[in-house]
Amino acid sequence: MMQKIKTGFFVSVFVLVGGLLHYVLPQHDIVRITSTEVIRTDFTAINRLFYAQADSGSAELETRDLRLIYTEKKKTFLLGFIARDARQVMVYRNEDTGWIWPPYFKFDSSDLQAQAAAVGTSGGENWAVMTHYGWRNKYLSIYPNAIGIRAVDGPDVRVIPWFNIFFFIFVVAAFLFLRAMWRQFLERTVDPAMQDVGERVDAVGDAVLKKHGRLRRWLDTWRK
Amino acid sequence: MGLIRLVVFGFVGLSVVYFMVSIYSKSVRREKLEDRWGEDNPDSTDEAAREAFVDQGMVEYNMGIRPKLILLVYVIPTIIVAVIHFLTTY
Repeated sequence: MMQKIKTGFFVSVFVLVGGLLHYVLPQHDIVRITSTEVIRTDFTAINRLFYAQADSGSAELETRDLRLIYTEKKKTFLLGFIARDARQVMVYRNEDTGWIWPPYFKFDSSDLQAQAAAVGTSGGENWAVMTHYGWRNKYLSIYPNAIGIRAVDGPDVRVIPWFNIFFFIFVVAAFLFLRAMWRQFLERTVDPAMQDVGERVDAVGDAVLKKHGRLRRWLDTWRK
Repeated sequence: MGLIRLVVFGFVGLSVVYFMVSIYSKSVRREKLEDRWGEDNPDSTDEAAREAFVDQGMVEYNMGIRPKLILLVYVIPTIIVAVIHFLTTY
C-alpha cells in the first residue's frame, strides 16, 4: 500500500513536471505561413492560465485583441520515431510574455506579426521555422505562443534545439550540485549534531541507570 | 512594473542561492583543511594547533578569489536574461 502511494506520488510529480516543461520549453515547427489576423478575445477562468498578458506597455483589461498567425505545419515524427509526410493546419498566438513568465522576455509581438506577414506574403511556399512554446487545444481555445520566425527555403531543414540541450545539461548539473550540497550538510552539520544529542542521551541514560541501579538489576533479571 | 518585480524576486532568490553556495564552499574547504592536517600530523592530539591551522586556512580562503567567484551567482543569470531577451527581440 505504502509502495503504491509512493509510486503514484512519483508518477504524478513526473507527469506534472514533464507537462510543465513540455509547455514552457521552446519547440520548433516547420510551417508554411498562410495569413495573420487579430481577433478579440474574452478569457474564461479556465483558459486565462494559458494566455500571457496584454502588450507590456498597455493596460490589462478583461478583454483584448489577440494576434494570431495561421500556418500549415509539417507534421513532426509520430512519437518521435515514425516519419510522417503530412501537413496539418496550426494556429499560433503572438503575445508579449513580458518580464515574468514564461521567461522569454518577449516584447516584440507587433514586430513578429509584421515578420510573419512578410514571410506569408513573400510569394512561393512561405516556409519558415516557427519557434514557439505552449499547446494548441481546441476545447479550451488555447494556442501556442510564437517566439521567433525564421524564413527557410524548403520544408527539409534540420533544427538543433540548442536551448533545450543546454537547459537539460544545466538541470542535471544543478541536481548533482544540490545533492553534493545536501550530503555535505548532512555530513558536517546534521551528523555531528545527532551524534552530540546521542551522546548526551546516553550520558543522561547512564546517570539515570546508576541512580536506579537496583531497579536495573531487577529489570535485568527479566532478561534471563 | 514587471521589471521591478523580476529584479526584486530575482535578487531574493539569487541571494538564497548565494548564501547556500558560499556556506557549502566554506564547508568543503574546512573539511579539506582538516583532512590535510590529519594527513600531515597523523598522531597529533593537539586540538589547538589543528584549529589554528584550519582557521589560518580559512582566512586565506576568505582572501582568495573563490569567495568572489560565488558572486557570479548574480552575474550569470543577469547575462542569461539579457541574452534571451536579445535573442527573442532582435
